Amino acid sequence: MHRDKEMQKHKTMSAAVNSWIVLIVLSIIAIYLPTFIDNPSMYTICALIIVMIKGQQIVDVFMELNNAPKFWRIFFLSYIVLLPLIISVIYLM
Amino acid sequence: MISPSITTASPDEVRPDKKRLDEKCTDKKLPGDLAMWFFILAELTVFAIFFIGFSVSEQLNKEMFNQGKAQLHQTAGLINTIALITSSFFVALALNLMYKAKAKQAVWLLLTAKAFAIIYITVKIWEYLSLFEQGITIETNTFFTLYFLITAFHLMHVLLGMVILAFIAHSAWRDNYQNKELSGFEAGSSYWHMVDLLWIILFPLIYVI
Repeated sequence: MHRDKEMQKHKTMSAAVNSWIVLIVLSIIAIYLPTFIDNPSMYTICALIIVMIKGQQIVDVFMELNNAPKFWRIFFLSYIVLLPLIISVIYLM
Repeated sequence: MISPSITTASPDEVRPDKKRLDEKCTDKKLPGDLAMWFFILAELTVFAIFFIGFSVSEQLNKEMFNQGKAQLHQTAGLINTIALITSSFFVALALNLMYKAKAKQAVWLLLTAKAFAIIYITVKIWEYLSLFEQGITIETNTFFTLYFLITAFHLMHVLLGMVILAFIAHSAWRDNYQNKELSGFEAGSSYWHMVDLLWIILFPLIYVI
């Protein structure tokens, strides 16, 4: 039992390291997106998809809401999906 | 009136499906205090209104906003993004160490997190000063009014977060989080992650797209 708990904690630690790497790489990609994508609408959508992925990492791994009651996790994940979606719609109007 | 059959039931008599449900409920726990999560929700709502307002204003003044964004320092924004993400990462590691009852080591990680937050504040102040040197202020145009309002409001949250981090670091150093009661620490770290979460939306919205 104790060993299982230790393994779980270790898993959380490595998940935090993986998340940190993903967040840094995506932040760098986001800033250089215009060099790969010419279309401004496409670029906006890609940047906001990156925001969603980064937000999911922070909510689930850093805030540890993947172990929280479903309502709270869904609520926070909705925020980081719906807000970029609303912004995308405003930008594409 | 409580039914005697419930009060006198031995643990073995508890229905297996209820037992599983209880186990599930105890596993799924919201980190920190509920009050802090409501506070975080309130903060996220305020920023959501700011972000939507900024987007709508941009659609109404596209040329002005494009010119304004061109005057911002994207690299400074990227440095701040990396600083806040790394700071949040160290806070997550510190909480992990607290679960392992390594409070003193956790304090060092919190101090590292604060060092990255100081990088963020330094870069942000430098950014403001360089804009002031160019004669750009909050009154220059709508873009810069919103830029200064939103980023300064976020900066205030970073400063409050640093006070909270200092408080939980001090409590951890004095071994105030005993018997695995870490809700204060968890609440403080959740607030800090919220500051990071807000920045990852703010940065592309104001600096990039």
